[in-house]
Amino acid sequence: MAYIEFKNVVKKYEMGEVTINALNKTNFQIEKGELVVIVGPSGAGKTTALNILGGMDSVTSGEVIVDNKRVDKLKSKRLIQYRREDIGFVFQFYNLVQNLTAKENVELATEICLDSLDPVTVLKKVGLKDRMDNFPAQLSGGEQQRVAIARAIAKNPKLLLCDEPTGALDYKTGKQILKLLQDTARKEEMTVLIITHNAAIAPMADKVIRFKNGRAQDITINENPISVEEIEW
Amino acid sequence: MKKALMKDTVKEIKNTYKRFISILLMAFLGVGFFVGLRASSPDMLHTIDKYFKDTNVYDIEVVSTLGLTQEDVEALKKVENIEEVHGTYTQDALINIEDVESVAKMMCIDDINKPVLKEGRLPENENECVVEDIFLTSNNKKIGDKLEVEMEDTTDDDGEKISFLKQKELEIVGVVNSPLYISRDKGTSKLGAGKVNYFIYVDYKDINAKDVYTEIYMKVKNSNQFVTSSDEYEDYISEVKKNVEAIKEERENARHEMLVDKANEKVDEAQKTFDEEKANAEKEIADAEKKIQDGKAELQKGEEEINKNKTKADKEFASAQRQLDSAKAQLKAGEKELQAKEAEANTQLNEAKNSKAQLQSNLDSVTNGIAQLDKSLGQVIEALKNPNLPAEQKGALEQQKVGMENQRTELENNRQQLQAGIAQIDQGIATGQSELEKGKKTLENSKAEISANEKKLQREKKNAYAQIESAQSKINSSKQELSEGEAELEKSKQEFNEKISDAEGELIDARAKIADIENATWYILDRNANQGHTSFVNDTKSIESLGAVFPLVFFVIATLISLTSMTRMVEEERTQIGTLKALGYSKIQIASKYIIYAVLACVIGGVLGMHVGCAFLPRIVWMMYSMMYTIDNFVVEFNVFYGSIGLTAAIICIVGATIYAAYRELINTPAVLMRPKAPKNGKRVLLERVPFIWKRLSFTRKVTVRNLFRYKKRFLMTIIGILGCTALILVGFGLKDSITSLLPNQFGDIFKYDMQISLKGNLEDSQKTEIIDDLSKKDEVTEIVETYMTSGDMFIGDTDDLSSDNEKEVQIIVPKESNELDKIINLSDVKTHKTVPLAEKEIAITDKLSQLLGVKVGDTVKIRNQDDKVKEFKVANIVSNYVGHYAYMSKDLYEESFEDYETNVLYLKEKDGITTDQEDRLVKGIVDRNEVSSATPTSTVMSSIGDMMNSLNYVVVILIVSAGILAFVVLYNLSNVNISERIRELATIKVLGFYDKEVYNYISRETVILTAIGIILGLVGGYLLNNFILGTCELEYMRFAKTIHPISYVYSVAITIIFTLIVNIVTFFSLKKIDMIESLKSVE
Repeated sequence: MAYIEFKNVVKKYEMGEVTINALNKTNFQIEKGELVVIVGPSGAGKTTALNILGGMDSVTSGEVIVDNKRVDKLKSKRLIQYRREDIGFVFQFYNLVQNLTAKENVELATEICLDSLDPVTVLKKVGLKDRMDNFPAQLSGGEQQRVAIARAIAKNPKLLLCDEPTGALDYKTGKQILKLLQDTARKEEMTVLIITHNAAIAPMADKVIRFKNGRAQDITINENPISVEEIEW
Repeated sequence: MKKALMKDTVKEIKNTYKRFISILLMAFLGVGFFVGLRASSPDMLHTIDKYFKDTNVYDIEVVSTLGLTQEDVEALKKVENIEEVHGTYTQDALINIEDVESVAKMMCIDDINKPVLKEGRLPENENECVVEDIFLTSNNKKIGDKLEVEMEDTTDDDGEKISFLKQKELEIVGVVNSPLYISRDKGTSKLGAGKVNYFIYVDYKDINAKDVYTEIYMKVKNSNQFVTSSDEYEDYISEVKKNVEAIKEERENARHEMLVDKANEKVDEAQKTFDEEKANAEKEIADAEKKIQDGKAELQKGEEEINKNKTKADKEFASAQRQLDSAKAQLKAGEKELQAKEAEANTQLNEAKNSKAQLQSNLDSVTNGIAQLDKSLGQVIEALKNPNLPAEQKGALEQQKVGMENQRTELENNRQQLQAGIAQIDQGIATGQSELEKGKKTLENSKAEISANEKKLQREKKNAYAQIESAQSKINSSKQELSEGEAELEKSKQEFNEKISDAEGELIDARAKIADIENATWYILDRNANQGHTSFVNDTKSIESLGAVFPLVFFVIATLISLTSMTRMVEEERTQIGTLKALGYSKIQIASKYIIYAVLACVIGGVLGMHVGCAFLPRIVWMMYSMMYTIDNFVVEFNVFYGSIGLTAAIICIVGATIYAAYRELINTPAVLMRPKAPKNGKRVLLERVPFIWKRLSFTRKVTVRNLFRYKKRFLMTIIGILGCTALILVGFGLKDSITSLLPNQFGDIFKYDMQISLKGNLEDSQKTEIIDDLSKKDEVTEIVETYMTSGDMFIGDTDDLSSDNEKEVQIIVPKESNELDKIINLSDVKTHKTVPLAEKEIAITDKLSQLLGVKVGDTVKIRNQDDKVKEFKVANIVSNYVGHYAYMSKDLYEESFEDYETNVLYLKEKDGITTDQEDRLVKGIVDRNEVSSATPTSTVMSSIGDMMNSLNYVVVILIVSAGILAFVVLYNLSNVNISERIRELATIKVLGFYDKEVYNYISRETVILTAIGIILGLVGGYLLNNFILGTCELEYMRFAKTIHPISYVYSVAITIIFTLIVNIVTFFSLKKIDMIESLKSVE
């Protein structure tokens, strides 16, 4: 059985009289330690899938299994615990707490985890050794995203979920962030999921899942993922 | 406005109904409180106004020092704009019920100042009366019972004493309220304890002294079109008062003249009587004098006659005497002759006698011889008789016998011769003697004749002289009588003179008194002179100022709340605003959405508040004030004026805040607006520079601290909201505490005595000593302090310029011994709170009084006593006091200034731990005494206030409810704003895996700290607000203690915390509902 499994997952949003099928019987599997890139156009359901996987949203039907856990069946508190212990989340807009320094933003996460990593070490690892005591406003977008990644991985999660992590960044910085994520996945053997609408970065992944109309239409296993540095777009 | 925008506005309200409601509530509270409190004062004024109009209360009153007459009434009727003029009669009376003496104002029912019948009926006969409700309850009487009043006679214009009432025993036939006495305080009296306790109305029929009115009440034409005590009313009345002033002097003079004329008439009459009597008396005296003169003349004549008679008698008697004397001389010669004859005769007689004696002795010897012979013869005869005698013897014997018998015959012859000689001699003697005797007798006869003549003369003389004597003595006694009469006359004359001079003196005095008849002085008063009315109006003013402060709190908070929530609302719709702007909508069009939103909230809330406030708050205020005033039928009016002011104020505050918030965004260009607003940057706080503390804080606390300082506006708002909430609750409790502690403070801290005993007037010193002695013997009594208590008026300015504002009634307490005062009354300096001694030559006055008069230590005040005597005093101390105005002075100072000290009140201290039963018995024992007019234990006073204080709970409840609403609105709003502002942050930490509780703590920790700060500041603010409010609505004769019990602080804190908790629970659920997907959205 795969580490992560989506089985016939359906997610419907009732917007008044209109029902939107965000996910329509989605099925995919991800193995432990894989770096997965999910691509697809807007509204294809990739963010919904990620939210469900991250325990932030519920399914209408179907099964979501993560490390033998039926995430779709988790009750509120267990779901929070799942988010807390198993998931690291990197947002498109970093979502740093403006009022906290880089280090404190990481600490915000590590405070609540049992086997968290040392915030300083993690920050050093993401290359922010010298900016630890800066507030988000004093950091560039890339730096902010690094803080966000550091905050996510410092929790030592089973699963690192990244929603358009480079969406707000320029090309160069975006590349650096992707590199960081790739390196993290490799070095820490962490399962990493990256959502992007930029199909160009797909070659860096172990597995590429293409979404269309609420379905994982095409799943490609990349036998030889290439380093981010080599990808140009 | 475009249809789309209108739709958008309606939708906006639907979507953000909570925000809408909170703005609405703020408007509701602000307007409600404003209108409610503001309307209370006019409502109260309208109530009293209606009451006064219904009962036809006077507009102008005239009293005079010399009373008022029907002529005055007639004159006043002619004054311009005076509509009704009523002369009435009033006098104070003493009532003694069950040994409790009280003072009642006796009034005559009239068509002006009509009493309002509450029960029973009005008096119709001269022996009936109506009383007020408290008279019945206090004296345990009911309708149908009787009461007796004790009144001094009044003096009529003729100077005669006349009883004020015809009937002094009156049956209570009804219960009334009097518009003249709406407050419990009815002013002072010269009787009893110096205070008027009750009023009693009698019918006109019962009034006896009808000549002189005690006051004249007037109704001014059209005065009813103004509200009493309004500026228009006051202006109008003072205009008309000027008309009355115009005839004042004339009427004063007329009254004076009238009394002078009457007095002159009386004196003239007296003079006439005097003159007549004097003439009569003088005539009588003259008559008497003439009589005496006549008597004297007659006497003289009598005396003269007597003297004449005497002389004549003397002469006559002298000649008679002379004749008598010559007769006497003849007699003497005769006597001498007789004596010579007698001597010769006596010699012859003696010769004869000698011869006779010779003869006699011869005779005797013859006789003896005879006797011897007889004897021997006898013996012979005897012996012869013996038969046994021998014959010889017999014969011898016989012989002897015959011899003897011869002898005897011889002798017998001798004897006869002798006897004849003697007889011859005797005859010679007898003849001589008889001749002598005859001469003697003739002499004797002459002598007798002379002596008879002499006797006669003597007798005649005696008679004559006796007559003269008696005439003389008669004259003498007449003389005596005459001189007595004279003396008497003299005395009478003197007496008469004295009397005349007395009477003349009296007449002069009487005339002088006429000159002394002081000029009448009219006092022209208006309703401001009515204590009840004035204090009521003043009270409405304090409510008015209260109405200015409370709503301010709500308006300020409403403004702030609208500012924050509208700012947030505008911020949330930044992009939309930008878009609309880009589409070409004008600023006003865009802003109108928010303005309409705010106006709607404001108007709905405000109009609701207006109605609710108007309907309830005045009633509650009234409920509190009705404890002090006897006015029924509270008039609640919907106050459009204040309503619109309140609403306008709310709109200005809330809509103003909205416009400000909207325009702050609207000035930006659409491009700026469409870009997301840069989030507030994080900043280090000051505390981080103190590593000592900072390092010790846990991570989450650090976050909290930093957040606190990040959202300063919210920080401030929360604190203000909580502060307001705590303060209001504290004020609620504080008001209750302060008012309820009023009497315990007064009777615990200031008045330390346990019982006040008023003595009856006119007690002998011995009676006082007796009661004091008796009381001091009682076990329950530990201290007795004698004092004199009276009342007066204190002021500082000129006497001409006094009104109830600058002249205050004050109770004057004069201890018999200055150093004993502190046993019963604590003179504690108001600033230092140290006990001060009573100064020798200066007075101590109470704090509130000094404030009202604006007097400081060292200033001079004037006191007018009951007899209108005004004296100046220097203020030595200002002392704490809570109820009433008092002035304390030493006995010396009092006697120096006014009159002799006289103990009339005794203060007792009872032994500790006395039971209620013991005290009751003690009181009964004291009250039963004749010397005592009343005995009031402090405990009775204290227990009688419980009811009054209960109604204060309404105030507390109202304030707590308002505070609660305030707390909810503020906290809920702020927490909403907080969540909405930080929704991304919150969603993020949720994604990070914070449990609900952790998310809640993340937010609420801030709230808790702010609440704590708010509470602490609120306690301070509440304390200050409490003081302010107590200061504003303090009654004139009260000083609220401004006490807040520790438990009230606890309650305030606890209630605030409960409100906060409730809001936090709501927040908890709002937080739970936060959708994590929010965190993924792009920054708008």
